[in-house]
Amino acid sequence: MAASVMLEQLVWPLAMVFAALGGGVYLWAVLDGLAARSFGLPRAQSVWQRPLSRGAWLLIQQSNNTEAPDRWGWRLAPALYLALAAVGLALVPWSRDWVATDLATSLVLWGSVEALATVVIFLQGWSANSHFALMGAYRYVALGLSYILISMFVLIGVALPAESLAITRIVASQQDVWNVVRQPLGLPLFLLVGLALTFRGPFNLADSQDLAGGTSVEVSGPPRLVWELARSAMLVAFSGIAATVFLGGWLGPWLPGPLWVMLKMLAILAVQAWLGRWFAVITPSRCLSLMWLILLPLAFIDLIWAGVVALL
Amino acid sequence: MAVGWLSRLAMRGPATVFPALGMHGEEAVYRLAQAPGITLVDTPRHATILLVAGGVPPHFHDSLRRVHDQLPAPFATLWYQSEPLLELQQPGIGKMDDLEALPGAVMDTWRRVIAGEQGTASRLLPDTPPNPWQGLGDDGRGGEGMMGGVPYGRPMAMPPAPDLRDGLALDILTVRLGPFFPLWPAGLEAEVTLQGDIVQQFSVLSAPYPRAVPSVFLEAQSRPVAIARLERKRMQYHLRALFHALRLAHLPDLAWRALGLAEECDSRPVEKLGKAFKAFARALARRGFFALYLPKGGTLDSEHARTLAGFAARAAGVEDDARQADEGYRRLGFSVITQQAGDVPARWRQRLAEVEQSLALIARAQQSDAVTASTEAIELPRGAGNADNLLENLLPGLEWSEALATLASLDVAEVSPWPHP
Repeated sequence: MAASVMLEQLVWPLAMVFAALGGGVYLWAVLDGLAARSFGLPRAQSVWQRPLSRGAWLLIQQSNNTEAPDRWGWRLAPALYLALAAVGLALVPWSRDWVATDLATSLVLWGSVEALATVVIFLQGWSANSHFALMGAYRYVALGLSYILISMFVLIGVALPAESLAITRIVASQQDVWNVVRQPLGLPLFLLVGLALTFRGPFNLADSQDLAGGTSVEVSGPPRLVWELARSAMLVAFSGIAATVFLGGWLGPWLPGPLWVMLKMLAILAVQAWLGRWFAVITPSRCLSLMWLILLPLAFIDLIWAGVVALL
Repeated sequence: MAVGWLSRLAMRGPATVFPALGMHGEEAVYRLAQAPGITLVDTPRHATILLVAGGVPPHFHDSLRRVHDQLPAPFATLWYQSEPLLELQQPGIGKMDDLEALPGAVMDTWRRVIAGEQGTASRLLPDTPPNPWQGLGDDGRGGEGMMGGVPYGRPMAMPPAPDLRDGLALDILTVRLGPFFPLWPAGLEAEVTLQGDIVQQFSVLSAPYPRAVPSVFLEAQSRPVAIARLERKRMQYHLRALFHALRLAHLPDLAWRALGLAEECDSRPVEKLGKAFKAFARALARRGFFALYLPKGGTLDSEHARTLAGFAARAAGVEDDARQADEGYRRLGFSVITQQAGDVPARWRQRLAEVEQSLALIARAQQSDAVTASTEAIELPRGAGNADNLLENLLPGLEWSEALATLASLDVAEVSPWPHP
């Protein structure tokens, strides 16, 4: 009996977290490759093999150095970012019972993951002792607060009908209607914020082309591989939270709950891959205006909407 | 065993190339950007192959050595139409002059480097701080007085200066970029003072290498040439320029399409070219190139616009185009297109409008085999002028991304007296 409980409440949930960290990151890379192909970019290699080849290349490449970097910070930042992504994935309930970290305040913990990511991204850029990396770091810090605020307002919106900050309760509250229907502004806002938080596509200002790679401009070899893995893992974690709080998580007919969660996560990742490649990068000043003047007020409206619906 | 397995897997991936451009090295970039198995990167740290394309003047050899030494091992250097540095001249060095063979040579070098068959090039400079400072100078920081020296590779933080936009006092950071910085014109070396993301000061230390114009424009200065030929080359010139801007805008697929269209300009039937260009121009607008990426800045004043001439002047409302004085063009119904704003979006709108105009001119010129009537004033695709202190005046006050977008929208290099091959 005890073994069965341990299997249900510890082993399987943790196995799912690690599977999502490995498999999810790989599938994200495949989806991104498929998106690139759908946009007409030529690829000499299969999209399934390309992420593996890239990983192998970075593993055999020398990890370089700069003059007087903050060595500890520089090496730790990618690992810390990966750890934050793992914490985020640990909050995703794969079924009613398979939850690695089922807290009464799990939504707050996700908020802290988003906030701490700002620190880690800054650490990555600052530690290299290089101007473009530093500029990328500052850009993220300057914009990060707006991302987090929008995310938090949207997430408070989904907590209202559940009357709880526990993600499992939020899933249960979607038994009749998913939040994506109940709060139509929520998911689109959260998707945009997800791209911004993981600095991808139009919101890739921290690791952007004009900074020749931004926070990772000086990084090569295994540390770069870990940084790229961590960025992708954070997006996978984000898709897990989005699938859970807006698309009903494990809820769905015929298939087992974990499979539903995975399918919903893949759908969100596919949308993110497409969105990320469709739009041109936005300038930092426009991004600031977009976040504070358009998306944040929309997040307020979403919250008011959620409150009114919850009261009715 | 493990390394062998990893290497085999790695060599199936795309070859990562950092292009260090010398004079007339751009062709290599355009060729490699279209090769499916090759990825061009913007920092030597992300590359396995250093491609030196075009002649590098001797006074930039030390800069080239610094770029060379930044590539992480294993790596190799290829020299395309370029003379290798003395210390790297050895038998079997990757030196070549054939553009068509370049992608194959890059792939071959990539595979051999990853497989460990081609030795990692040795480092050329000692691994010591470029600016020795510890224990030197008045305060042990390498310079005179309290603020001298470059401890830890950075100049001492200067007293905060008011921000150009809102007056907020912030620390400033001065960096030197170029001449191999791939995100602006090859050969440009500048000292940039930044305050956060804002350019406070931009001082050109070395002007970009002169750029060649297609030989047909020089030919037209000595004898009548087919207008269709001229206009096809004009289109190609603008589309290639667009490639750089689209890369900066994170639109790699459209950048690739722009280059593809540019390569087809010489031979593709004009109707098909026109159709493909219209679809391409629609995609530019739909995907936020104007609305999200291009800054509403980098505006040329009328003096600078007139000095620069060409499309940059016309984008600022100056009706100056040598084609209107040419009887051959007049017979085709040529009229000058202009914009008014003179800023970055206006310049790209002007260039796109001129590509569309070229398409119409080609179609009409082909029907009547029209040739130029004048050899005295030929309108180059880029304008023949150069404005002194243009960048020093234009870029301060812009965000860094806006400054690069502004640079990409202009032709700041001098016109080379030698034709493009």
